[in-house]
Amino acid sequence: MDSAVEHPTSTWEAMPEGNVFYRRLQLYSIPGKLPDLSDFIITGCRNGGPIALMRDTSKIIAIGRVGPAFSRSQIQVFSSADEGLLLLNWDQGKIIRFGWTADERLVVVNEEGVYRLYDLQGDYQQHSLGSEAAEMGIIDARIHENGLVALTGSLTLLEIKDWEGGKPLTLANPGLSEPPHAWAVIPPDQNISRHVEVLLSVETTILAVDNLESLDQRVARGPFSRVSPSPNGKLLALLNYNGLLWVVSTDFQRSLAEFDTQTAGAEGPVNQVEWCGNDAILVTWKDLAILVGPSGDTLRYFYSGAMFSITELDGVRVIGQEVSDFIQKVPVSSMSVFRPGSTSPSAILFDAWESFTRRSSKADESIRTIRPELAAAVNECIDAAGHEWEPYWQRRLLSAAKFGWGFLDLYNPGDFVAMGQALKVLNSVRFYEIGIPLTYSQYQHLSPMHLITRLTSRNLHLLALRISSYLSLKADIVLKHWAGAKIARSKSSTTDAEDEELCKVIVDKFEKLGKGAVSYADIARRAWEVGRAGLATKLLDHETRASDQVPLLLTMNEDKLALLKAADSGDTELVYHVLLHLHKRLPLGSFFRLIEDGGERLAPASRLLQVYAREQNREMLRDFYYSDDRRVESAVLALEEASQMTDQVATITSVKAAENFFSEDKDRAFEAKMMDESARLLAMQQQLEKESDGKVKFFGKSVSETIRTCLMNGMSKKADKVKSEFKVPDKRFWYIKLHTLTALRDFNGLDAFARSKRSPIGYEAFVRHLVEAGHLKEAASYVIRCDAPKRVGLYVLCEDWRAAGRECKERGDKKGLEALRKQCPNSLIARELDTLSASMK
Amino acid sequence: MSNAATRLSSTDLQSTSGVERDDEQTLDVQVLKDAAKKALVNALNSASFSSPLNLVNGAKTLVLDSTLAGPLGLVTEVALLKNHGVDKMFWLEPGPLTSTTTNVIYLCRPLIKYVKIIADQIKRSSKESHKYRYTLFLVPRTSTLVSRILEEEGVLGDLTVSSYNLQFIPVEEDVISLEHDSAFRELWVDGDETIIYNSALALNALQHTFSRFPRIIGKGDYASKLATLLTKPLPEQQVVPADALNLPPPFDSLIILDRHVDMVTPLLTQLTYQGLIDELVGIRNSQAELPLSLLKPPSAPDPTNPSTSQSSTNITPVTNEKTKKHFLSASTDPLFADLRDLHFSSLGKRLNRVAHRIDEDYKARFEARTVAQLRDFVSRLNGLQTEHEALRLHTGLWEMLVPRTRTELFNKSLEVEQNLVASYETTAQINAIEEMIAQGADMQTVARLLCLASITAGGIKTRLLENVKKEFLQAYGYHLLPLLLSLSASPLSVLLQNPSPASTAAANKLPFTALRKSLRLLIDDNPEALEELENDIGYVYSGYAPISVRLVQCVAQKSGVISNPAEKASADDRDGKGKGSTSKKLFAHPIVGWKGFEDVLSTIPGKTFDIVQKMPSGTGAETPSLSGLLRPHEQPTTTVVFFLGGCTYTEIAALRWVGRQNKGRKFLIATTGIVSGASLIESIANEGKRGSGK
Repeated sequence: MDSAVEHPTSTWEAMPEGNVFYRRLQLYSIPGKLPDLSDFIITGCRNGGPIALMRDTSKIIAIGRVGPAFSRSQIQVFSSADEGLLLLNWDQGKIIRFGWTADERLVVVNEEGVYRLYDLQGDYQQHSLGSEAAEMGIIDARIHENGLVALTGSLTLLEIKDWEGGKPLTLANPGLSEPPHAWAVIPPDQNISRHVEVLLSVETTILAVDNLESLDQRVARGPFSRVSPSPNGKLLALLNYNGLLWVVSTDFQRSLAEFDTQTAGAEGPVNQVEWCGNDAILVTWKDLAILVGPSGDTLRYFYSGAMFSITELDGVRVIGQEVSDFIQKVPVSSMSVFRPGSTSPSAILFDAWESFTRRSSKADESIRTIRPELAAAVNECIDAAGHEWEPYWQRRLLSAAKFGWGFLDLYNPGDFVAMGQALKVLNSVRFYEIGIPLTYSQYQHLSPMHLITRLTSRNLHLLALRISSYLSLKADIVLKHWAGAKIARSKSSTTDAEDEELCKVIVDKFEKLGKGAVSYADIARRAWEVGRAGLATKLLDHETRASDQVPLLLTMNEDKLALLKAADSGDTELVYHVLLHLHKRLPLGSFFRLIEDGGERLAPASRLLQVYAREQNREMLRDFYYSDDRRVESAVLALEEASQMTDQVATITSVKAAENFFSEDKDRAFEAKMMDESARLLAMQQQLEKESDGKVKFFGKSVSETIRTCLMNGMSKKADKVKSEFKVPDKRFWYIKLHTLTALRDFNGLDAFARSKRSPIGYEAFVRHLVEAGHLKEAASYVIRCDAPKRVGLYVLCEDWRAAGRECKERGDKKGLEALRKQCPNSLIARELDTLSASMK
Repeated sequence: MSNAATRLSSTDLQSTSGVERDDEQTLDVQVLKDAAKKALVNALNSASFSSPLNLVNGAKTLVLDSTLAGPLGLVTEVALLKNHGVDKMFWLEPGPLTSTTTNVIYLCRPLIKYVKIIADQIKRSSKESHKYRYTLFLVPRTSTLVSRILEEEGVLGDLTVSSYNLQFIPVEEDVISLEHDSAFRELWVDGDETIIYNSALALNALQHTFSRFPRIIGKGDYASKLATLLTKPLPEQQVVPADALNLPPPFDSLIILDRHVDMVTPLLTQLTYQGLIDELVGIRNSQAELPLSLLKPPSAPDPTNPSTSQSSTNITPVTNEKTKKHFLSASTDPLFADLRDLHFSSLGKRLNRVAHRIDEDYKARFEARTVAQLRDFVSRLNGLQTEHEALRLHTGLWEMLVPRTRTELFNKSLEVEQNLVASYETTAQINAIEEMIAQGADMQTVARLLCLASITAGGIKTRLLENVKKEFLQAYGYHLLPLLLSLSASPLSVLLQNPSPASTAAANKLPFTALRKSLRLLIDDNPEALEELENDIGYVYSGYAPISVRLVQCVAQKSGVISNPAEKASADDRDGKGKGSTSKKLFAHPIVGWKGFEDVLSTIPGKTFDIVQKMPSGTGAETPSLSGLLRPHEQPTTTVVFFLGGCTYTEIAALRWVGRQNKGRKFLIATTGIVSGASLIESIANEGKRGSGK
């Protein structure tokens, strides 16, 4: 049984000096699946991702070998197991560089400064590096997982961050006079500064460029033909033209290893300098790969034919003509368990378990010896299982762990279960038909979610769905992608019934599996993009979030629906969004009609439009009211304008316009009349200003104020005229005159006025107002004209105690007098009141 | 105002019970303030860290919209802003901006006029080739409208637009406000419903901070829209966390009332101390403009108020005396907490009593015989002096207000109000209002009274109305015609003619006379009823109970609507003063919606709703049964009352009174802002002038 699967150590090789082991795992055997790699430019995606091949046009190829398929520019994409995934035809400008993003999209940059992002289905998004790049041309680019840096024809550097199609940023100008010998980029997430750093090999030195400055690292060992940063961005492998490989920290402070490649005995030029994890470097020639360890030790690997290597976080992948290999330093836990002669607890545990399966008593003995370290041994076995490629060995290691924890009192099996789950997932995706040779460390680094998106992008929805339900993850990403693919694949029929059916299938699945958490708007947008408007509308009906619905409806030109949904949502922000969008796009007439036809449901939207237009676009508002026959609103608008005008004639015209609007509405006769009065008043005020030689301002004042101003300025006749012209009631006129004359302290005038005729407001008002204004003496003189019973109180108000007393006496009001006596402020008055009181009997 | 004497004792009573209001823990709303403060700091910092260059030079110039200064002053102080790199502050005003720092931060509400000013300033400085980095923070969220206008003005690319999510601000320990002054006008005049959505977001944030509202009850069309929004998922909504199992959720319900449901209340003159300050002096964002002489001895410049440092738009008051903004809050002035809700007529007596007490306390020093006693006195001295200071301020303020309440016009308007709510000779009241116009009363006062007359009488006779409108326009200016139109236009409809013209539907009129009876709005003038007056929310309007608060009682204190819950207690109280009334306080009944008052509610225009919110899926129970809503006995809870469109100080006072009558239920009053009749009329009257911002 054991002989069926090779022992793990059979893939191990030790570095010549020291105890470091490296292992070469054969991932897939791929005889004859790939064309001759040496004819191609290749780029590989990390984390077990696919590789893309493009014919290297600089190489001469024998005609016989060039099939018709290669007669024009093509890019082929293979999975790691070298199953063909995709064939792209390229019809744009010359490709400068291509590479992979973190989510397995192929980035292709051409010399015209255009880059495309292809997904594994061949769909792409196209972005530009900007007008400058288009003018100068792009001569080279470096693509990392989350962005790229392009070198323009004028030797400046442009950075693209994320893959959202954002504006390119110009990095500091390195001041180059010719293209660098070699260059590389350290991605932002691996830098302390969190900004991208570009390393350029110029003359004998290296320039480090970021967005602020270009720094000469003062290295004298160049020029370099290869610059290769390690996966964690801390170290740099440099190869100079003398064949010296030099490993140095990226800040050039520490030199770590040197190795002369010319002594390696390989023929021809070096093909690649790639990192194997963060601690070794793989240098490849045509059929030889040399692994250079940290201390300059080497291991040699021979391949038949060309090969291509891809740096991974924890090793390096080598794709040859016949095999696909993974080379890595043997993980610590594997070393501990399997190293020949290992006496570590985990090795003993594994041994004990093997004894146990052979029913040997040695098992118990072994367990006893490692009792104190048993928990650690169990954990190490679990970890080692994660690093084994063969399910056979994974199972054995996990069984050993399980056996071990049986001897422990307390053990949390969480790690064990998690590892079992992880391995099940990993084994399923490593299967050659899937072809994602993901290691456990990479899986840990990337998260299960990432793996699932990779599966969906390969249209492996069933597997993705099973994995996500197996790991209890939300299924919405899978479902969304599935629906998108489903829509794209279904034939673009135009019949309603077929749309209905497809919609139903999608909705069913979403509700069953997605628990209603999936956004229909995204799917609908996808349907719209592939020209399935009918389907998109149907899908949108299932969307509950208006903020997702509305923008799509707008792009679909479903104007009315968009406006209705926005209005229903209650989110005014959304309503504005639609209104402003439609206002821009539609002719004004149909824009208005759309809103007016909406009736009550669109009333909030209509009112919002008015609020906006009142401030920003009065012309439109006028048209809007006019087209809808809204007389009152039109009139109010005219009035608002009147109040803002400085020119008197224009103001009067606006007021008259308002009057006209009101008079067109039979229910607004009163308002029309008022506006007529207003216009007449304004005209009169103009006249008054003229008559006062512009010294007194009248224009815009109210009727009452106009009267007051007339009186203040001695234009008493004019005041009377205003009164009669506007039929001001006597009462109001008298109050105005009373207040004004008091303010003027024109007491004679006031007296004359009071005598002019019987006061319509009585004389108590005179007394009270004069008292409030502080003119007590003058106030008292009017008391006698007031009603008799009130006089005492009013005299008190005027603080004329004597008169109050006399009044009491006249009326024979003894009680009133006594009350006065109690209130009075000083003894002098009290005595007087007493005399009065005495005289009354 | 004849029964002032009896009222004195009653109001004293209600506030003695007020002293012990802290026996049950109130919800700590200060967390909202802290959150708002933190968000501001984050915003300021993000504005400088967005580029590494600014790590070096983080100084910023802050440009504030002046309506935001007040609310912001409630959240933070200038020192905090300075600590976070704010170098200078300016008002957002038309004209060039002279900034000494490269970072310029604008902070404003998303109003078109502000955006235009900003655009203008950016264009100016770019003409003069100054290089600034502009950041615009919109409160409370970003807006397409603003982006569009910036785009139209051609400056969108020059600045970063972001948002500062300022939501509920605690203005008192039991009052939180959005401090959005123009909410009423926006809703019922402009028809701009933005504030409803913003309220929904704010209430959602409240749910997020504390707990879900298990039940949403309310009245009014806009209130109903708000409730619907709250039950729908909002895009910016964070998931409301499931309530921790061991802690009972603090909220038992949310009661939403929109201002239009009760238009009567704000039209009346508020007669509590705080209400009267608002009526006669004006309170904005908890600040009142008081004469400087009242606030002496001059203290250090008020740090809570940014306007004192950069005040360029100070409104010069009518009086010649210099004024200064004073922060009126119970948190800084404990004496005010005792005084604010008193009926004005009993204020003098209360002040007198406090003066006596302080005097006694001072005299304690003569009794100090031992060193220990003396030390004890000295340690209390500081507190005494602060109290003394506060007393001096409030006595001064009282003295200032008294003459204003004695003027003929003030009393006349009170008389008209009282007659109108009693539906006594409406025509005579209209004539009285006309007379007030002739006498030169305030435009706002007259407009308030006219609306009040229309609402209480169900419209004013056409001829009478046209006459008084003509007087109004002649006295105050024809430019106020739009105001009159707005007041009579639907949906506001507070100034209607009777019979209404055929073209307008007369359906939604408030059946005021019927309500007066069914909701016991007015306390009759017979001696038995007087007893009631002493112990009813009606004290805030000298005998008239606000409809809004009665409606809250319909939900949260049903017995209070029918008869008075405190009545019995006070009767007992008279027998034995020492026992105290708290021991007899009944426990608040659970929330069962409008039950028992459905008929009354259906007669009031506007939608009535009662929504039981589903618990978030995952907490187990799908829909809580009614019994699930009934809380375990003796479990203190908080009921949130949200006024959409603003509430008055009297309503706050009345709700506090309601809260004191029962054990176990606290009210948290939430509002879009604090209003008064004058401020409502003012905001509508100014509407036409908004366009003149340029």
